[in-house]
Amino acid sequence: MMQHVHTDPRRGLPTAPSSNIRPPIEDIKLLEPILYTGPKFYITVVCLLAVIALGVFAYMTQYREGLGVTGLGRPVYWGFYITNFVFFIGISHAGTLISAILRIVGAEWRRTITRSAEVITVMVILFGVGNILIDLGRPDRMLNVVLFGKLRSPLLWDVCSITVYLTMSTTYLYLPLIPDIAILRDYTTKHRWLYRMLALGWTGTPRQHRVLELLISVMAIVVIPVAVSVHTVVSFVFAMTIQPMWHSAIFGPYFVVGAIFSGIAALIVAMALIRWVYDLGDYLKDLHFNNLSLMLLVMCFAWFYFTGSEFLTTFYGNEPAHMGIFWMKISGPYAPHFWVMVATCFVIPVAILCNKRTRTILGAVIASICVNIGMYLERFIIVVPSLSQPRLPHAESIPYSPTWVEWSILAACFAAFTLLYVLFTKLFPIVSIWEVQEGRENSIAEVTARLKTYLPEPYVPEDKEQPIGATP
Amino acid sequence: MTTPYPGLTPSHRTRALFKWLALLGAATFGLGLLFARQRALSSFLLLNIGFLGMGLGAAFFIALQYVCGAHWAVALRRVPEAMCGILPWAALGILITILVGRSLYPWTEEHATGMKGVILSYPFVLGRTVVFLGIWLLLVRALVHGSRLQDDTGDASLSESNVRLSAVFLVVFGLTFWVAVFDWVMSLEPEWYSTMYGVYHFAGLFLGAIAAIIILVVWLSRVGPLRSVLTAEHLHDLGKLLFGFSTFWMYIWFSEYMLIWYADFPEETAHFVRRLTGGWGPLFVANMVVTWLIPFFILLPKPVKRNPDMLVRVACMILFGRWLDLYLLIYPAAVGHETVTFGVLELGMALGAPGLFMLVFVRAYRACAPVPIADPLLNASLSHHQ
Repeated sequence: MMQHVHTDPRRGLPTAPSSNIRPPIEDIKLLEPILYTGPKFYITVVCLLAVIALGVFAYMTQYREGLGVTGLGRPVYWGFYITNFVFFIGISHAGTLISAILRIVGAEWRRTITRSAEVITVMVILFGVGNILIDLGRPDRMLNVVLFGKLRSPLLWDVCSITVYLTMSTTYLYLPLIPDIAILRDYTTKHRWLYRMLALGWTGTPRQHRVLELLISVMAIVVIPVAVSVHTVVSFVFAMTIQPMWHSAIFGPYFVVGAIFSGIAALIVAMALIRWVYDLGDYLKDLHFNNLSLMLLVMCFAWFYFTGSEFLTTFYGNEPAHMGIFWMKISGPYAPHFWVMVATCFVIPVAILCNKRTRTILGAVIASICVNIGMYLERFIIVVPSLSQPRLPHAESIPYSPTWVEWSILAACFAAFTLLYVLFTKLFPIVSIWEVQEGRENSIAEVTARLKTYLPEPYVPEDKEQPIGATP
Repeated sequence: MTTPYPGLTPSHRTRALFKWLALLGAATFGLGLLFARQRALSSFLLLNIGFLGMGLGAAFFIALQYVCGAHWAVALRRVPEAMCGILPWAALGILITILVGRSLYPWTEEHATGMKGVILSYPFVLGRTVVFLGIWLLLVRALVHGSRLQDDTGDASLSESNVRLSAVFLVVFGLTFWVAVFDWVMSLEPEWYSTMYGVYHFAGLFLGAIAAIIILVVWLSRVGPLRSVLTAEHLHDLGKLLFGFSTFWMYIWFSEYMLIWYADFPEETAHFVRRLTGGWGPLFVANMVVTWLIPFFILLPKPVKRNPDMLVRVACMILFGRWLDLYLLIYPAAVGHETVTFGVLELGMALGAPGLFMLVFVRAYRACAPVPIADPLLNASLSHHQ
């Protein structure tokens, strides 16, 4: 079991634990993944590493032989990699944005889920950006954005907004982690050097709490416009061109809605896995899944609204170049993608989530997996069809079909993301211990006091002996 | 029914003011039809789209509260409910515009080709208009009726049925409203279209409704019915909504304008060129300034959102911005973009609109208890804290 040992950072001697940091006795379960590592963990890591190795091999092949080993060519010069980029950046909205919104509106049920959401953001952005590097063929050309950047280029805006978002999301993940790192430093013996360094001397004084909470609340407010800007700018990369069905005024909010939509779905899947693997049913309860399912349901309708606006307005506009792409998606070569997208992003999740009986954890997970498949397809049919029929005359193009290189790199991205996520859970509590403690101590009392104000004062008879109804 | 909340009894002067304003509007419209028909019809369309926005925005607000299970605005709910009273009038106005004002819509003369010709064929547009207006009226009426019925019966299940009704309304409204504004406003320039148009109209609609709710609740707290009800906490929340949706409106505006400006397609930029030349430019900029820039900076500090006087001033500014926005959307297309057309006709009708709106509002508000007295969430709303 754990050793309750506190080490004086200056002398390396054991001392009594800081009085302000409460031992996590009630939430010991949250430390179990950090303290104990079983064979299943190693098997998982080996499997994930194998997939990653395949991706690395594929990338090395591409690096050595050039982009010719992929399905990319003219005029379809953007394929899986850019789809991955948009998809992963979209998923990144799971964390910071959802967590920030829940914090700002004071949703008490957020306490056990915010961290698992925030981690997704930080981890997944890396793969979004990484796919751009892979797509470049020559990754050193990334420096061109810095060396020869043009202020009027949305690519430069993209680099700026994603960098800001990554920085802020990492800070936003780290800040609420500090008190938990201090708990690990004071009450566990593993990786103490790491925790001592990252805890930044946290002793849990009231002043430290005040400063931390102020910082978290400021970050929660500031990060929302940044998150919205990120996906708006990602959409501008497409919409600021004149390519048919890319150049669409609705693209900014359409991408943001899609991002939040896929983000919530990714969060539900991640939470279900954590709950299952680490047996955290007491922390990630049915209520959390139910609430997130309702958010997913609302986003289903929002996504449908925006997709409907996009497609039906294009149909109304009836511009020949746009209509060429439109019919490719509705009844042409990309029709299977389109209709599967409609089914997986709208029909199936709405059917599952509208019904209370099917809105269970399993139902939410099935709906979320569907949504993520559908959102990947959505990104794909935004990226590829528009390029296959550009406005300028072009030579007969070979239809884009990704090769083993692209499939391997896609699989490796998912595997690497999962690996990073798993490693995070082995180093830090995936449910915020101090926020759960704080919730138990303060919030329940606050909510009780507030609820009491809603109710009338109880009637207290002057003469308690007198039976009710008797005439005085 | 007796309630602890005093009813609304506006003074004779206030009533007379509303009546005279409404009469002024009606008279200018009547004279306008005789002497400047196109302008009168354009102004009529503008005001009816505005009225419709008030009614539907209020209904959207009520539905959103029900669906979210929010308690904070329950005590104020009779205000948006009474605002919905304008909907039948707005619906009638729009129907009249479509029937009488065919000259506003170029596609009634020069038929578009292909699928657009089918979508913009007169019987189809008229049919859609009737269906949309009918569905909205029915749903909103049922929503308001359920809430009022609860006063008498005290039946908590009415809240639950209103939640279901609200969900239906939100979905139906979402799927129909953008098609409706395509038909009634965007088709004034049939060659132009924007995928953002419906979202843009929705942003303006809800922003305007929140501004109107703020003005009305503050007025009602001064004249009686909401004196013991409205607190700084309620105002703070309404202020936050106003701030948020003003910024949302600007985001949508920017996303649309920026992409069209950057791509620089003549057939797309024509819409904005008409609104930037011929003297319209300053109004185009003023629209952003009064609807977002000034409200954004004024509403940033917390105390302003809790101060009724300041909040009402900002809300009035935003309502003016709302009129300006619709004026910029309709007039350059329907009346002409060569010069700015604004005269006694536009002023008279614009002044008449609040008069008519307030007459309808007062009547609807007096028709039931000033606060939903039997709503299970009323106590929570009365003692609402942030």
